[in-house]
Amino acid sequence: MITIDRLTAGYGKLEILQDLSLSFAAQQFSALLGPNGSGKSTLMKAIMGLNTVFSGSITLQDRELIGRPTEAIPPLGIAYVPQRENIFDELSVLENLQLGARILPKAERPAALNEVLGIFPILGRRLSQRANTLSGGEHQMLAIAIAWLSKPTIMLLDEPSAGLAPAIATDVFRILKELSAAGITLVVVEQNARRLLQYCDYAFVLREGMLVFQGSAEECLKDEETIKGYLGVH
Amino acid sequence: MPPALLTTSLVNTIQIGSLYALMALGITLTFSVMKLPNFAHAEYVTAGAYAALIVSLSGVLNPLVIMIAAFAVGALSALISHLAVFKPLEGRDVSFYTLILSSFAIGLIIRYILFTMADYFNLFDLRIAIPLRIVLRDGNLILSNLFAWVVPTSVILVIILTLLLNRSPLGREMRALANNISLARVIGIRVERVKNYAWLLVGGLAGVAGALWGLQTAVHPLMGWGAIISVFAAAILGGLSSFSGTVLGAYVVAFSENTVMLFLNANYGLDLAFKPAIPFIIIIAVLLLRPQGFTNLIKRAEELQR
Repeated sequence: MITIDRLTAGYGKLEILQDLSLSFAAQQFSALLGPNGSGKSTLMKAIMGLNTVFSGSITLQDRELIGRPTEAIPPLGIAYVPQRENIFDELSVLENLQLGARILPKAERPAALNEVLGIFPILGRRLSQRANTLSGGEHQMLAIAIAWLSKPTIMLLDEPSAGLAPAIATDVFRILKELSAAGITLVVVEQNARRLLQYCDYAFVLREGMLVFQGSAEECLKDEETIKGYLGVH
Repeated sequence: MPPALLTTSLVNTIQIGSLYALMALGITLTFSVMKLPNFAHAEYVTAGAYAALIVSLSGVLNPLVIMIAAFAVGALSALISHLAVFKPLEGRDVSFYTLILSSFAIGLIIRYILFTMADYFNLFDLRIAIPLRIVLRDGNLILSNLFAWVVPTSVILVIILTLLLNRSPLGREMRALANNISLARVIGIRVERVKNYAWLLVGGLAGVAGALWGLQTAVHPLMGWGAIISVFAAAILGGLSSFSGTVLGAYVVAFSENTVMLFLNANYGLDLAFKPAIPFIIIIAVLLLRPQGFTNLIKRAEELQR
């Protein structure tokens, strides 16, 4: 479980998150929603040590994450899929997967690679291809596969459906649902709130760096004020 | 052009091209992994040559020991310039131009340390003390033991480097850094450690190139600097990103400086003094006409193979 306590964070001198407190429960599939600029991506980047934290704390089972270098976060069991540039596009698909599995002990890597091809069978047919030849959906599957290969307990995904055709976005959400069912804690940022709320358990809505709603996905869908006020109608 | 001259120039092309390849691969690796066109690279070559010279003057004539000493000194000069200058500057988010200028500055510092040392111990214009021998004489073809040393050593090192980059986990991580450094951090690659290894490798190869260079010409504090423009021309032909393109570029530059130059001299009376202009002409022509160098040609060739 990740607990955010009174976090103020942003970029350079700019504060985006204002005194934010919330926690992502273990094994829950949480949606992180809100309009553009509300601080959803900023929160993920703060967890990964990729931006400026002014005050507050981020703890993973009582271990403080703030101040750790980015490369020290994945060994703690947190994997992050950025919204853009989330694969090594000049490398082959296989090399991308190998890089994803690199933090596992050597003996576990072959089994993990086999397993990932079971979850994302399409990647098995593309192994020797350069990753920049993949289609949009395959690209996103590869990004998720790289993150999954570190065998994380928590996965943070920043708009995994961005730019995908609706049918392919649905495939992505279905796979996320499977990963969640397998016990991985998921936090997913999404523009298309209604669609994600069909799949996730819990929702947090941010606006201007503050938490304006939290509750189960069903409660969120029923909450007309939140849906109309902050999420827009999709 | 007399056949004997042609053969000699082709032998030189291969010999010098192999050395350029060794040096230029370091430039390409530094540029792609560290995002830095490092002009101090020339001085790692000179430092390696001096290490080789000093070891050979101390009476150790085993070429392997000489090469290892040159590798070590080149590798250390590169790592020190990274840790003392480039890394702190990167931490301050300075511009690309500041980094380039600082690479010139480090180059000057190393060069004049070597000058001071060469002056104090009187180490100007000495050759590494391996005796010259003819190993093959067949008609117009004359090969010395230098050729027998320089070419196989460079080719083997280029092959080892290629295998290391393409097949080993460390090489994969270096290419990951080159491709997308922020994602490399996000997936837990210890970026600074990989960079340190890359610097050791780059400097070490430059050092060995210096030792091999010092086998065929005199060792002098300006020798690396004298070659750097040709070496950059080779790396630019490789688009500063493709390793095979860089190797090809190295031989193209060496061919232009030797065979093409002699051809122009023999047939059109072009003065040999124009030789140093050739790498500049290549750089300007590539930047004007084909800034990506050989990169796309090689990518296309790879795709055709698949």
